[in-house]
Amino acid sequence: MGIFKLDPEVYRRYKDQVLKLCNSFQRIDQPGLSDKQIAEQLGLDERTVTEIRCVAERDCYPLEEWEKAIEFKRKATLEWSALALKRPELKDK
Amino acid sequence: MSLPPNASATLKSGALKSGATVCGIADAAAFDAHAPDGHRPGDLLPGAKSVVVVGGAQPRAGDWAATSPWVLQTMGTTERIQSVGRKLAQYIESELGYYALYVPPGTASGDTPFLSFMLAAQLAGLGSRSLAGPVLNREHGFMYWSAVITTAPFEADAAEQAPACPAPPCREMWEREKTTPCLTICPASNGGCLEGKLEDGRAVRTFYDAARCNTRVHTHWIGGFQKVLEATLNEPDKDRRKMLLYGDFMTRTLWAITYSSTNIAQCFECMRVCPAAHGLKEMK
Repeated sequence: MGIFKLDPEVYRRYKDQVLKLCNSFQRIDQPGLSDKQIAEQLGLDERTVTEIRCVAERDCYPLEEWEKAIEFKRKATLEWSALALKRPELKDK
Repeated sequence: MSLPPNASATLKSGALKSGATVCGIADAAAFDAHAPDGHRPGDLLPGAKSVVVVGGAQPRAGDWAATSPWVLQTMGTTERIQSVGRKLAQYIESELGYYALYVPPGTASGDTPFLSFMLAAQLAGLGSRSLAGPVLNREHGFMYWSAVITTAPFEADAAEQAPACPAPPCREMWEREKTTPCLTICPASNGGCLEGKLEDGRAVRTFYDAARCNTRVHTHWIGGFQKVLEATLNEPDKDRRKMLLYGDFMTRTLWAITYSSTNIAQCFECMRVCPAAHGLKEMK
């Protein structure tokens, strides 16, 4: 027994297709599908699609992207503070 | 058993008294045209007739103007509006005798919610989706949402007709520069999440990278924890493992996910620059 574990080979095979069909990357006129709908389209069972999606959502970007997020927010916050408070020197804090 | 006269008005009045800034009601059946099978009110509560939505707990001007991103990251939380949702669910069951399911604010699987609060807010007439993504209320801008699915057949509100987005300054910016504040701050073409355009005066989002947005909205949250844990498990050197586990990233993440400090939505940059989200109010 144990928890449901996705076969890494199945993950590698279907990851890109599941990401393309789910809500992770949204394009105009192309609404994301539910796991059930993706499963029907790819001939997989829903639980497997759910697991592929969950792992892929986290696997899309490396840890470095989280660090970039921190830097992005630091810079954007200071730029806004400088504008909103009319304190241009804050931008370079 | 039917609802007493003015049941909808009484419910809304109670919601506002409990701390909601806005309250609206959506017809549960209205989700069918927008949400996929498995993500509709009746999937969670069979026989659902209405979805009651409350919004509020928006950041204050001081929060938006703070020089540290960790202020909004810590103050921006759904918790305050969730308590109003829970009260409404209790009221509907105890006073009116109908099933009331408070929609959990977490996820049903991975990053997928039980029910889209943003869709619920739109269908309840409380706002409309912005180019950046969040639903904006015309009067109050960006806010947090909570929802209750119920078998009570409340009178449903109509969807909002005139969207808050694009705001007049954004239309002017589009005319001049073919961009908007939110597209400028977070462009998908340059490491961000968004692509879009204004067409016939309406905002049209053409691309959204939810996975990257997740690294920004939930930087110190579940995803960040999983990533650092993975890096730690893969790190053979015990001193380097210690640096990862004891460092600021992991520490802040643990503060957040253990609710030692409330940290849920953590990126506000598309909303910070949005004139319709909160405006650039002059404060003394």
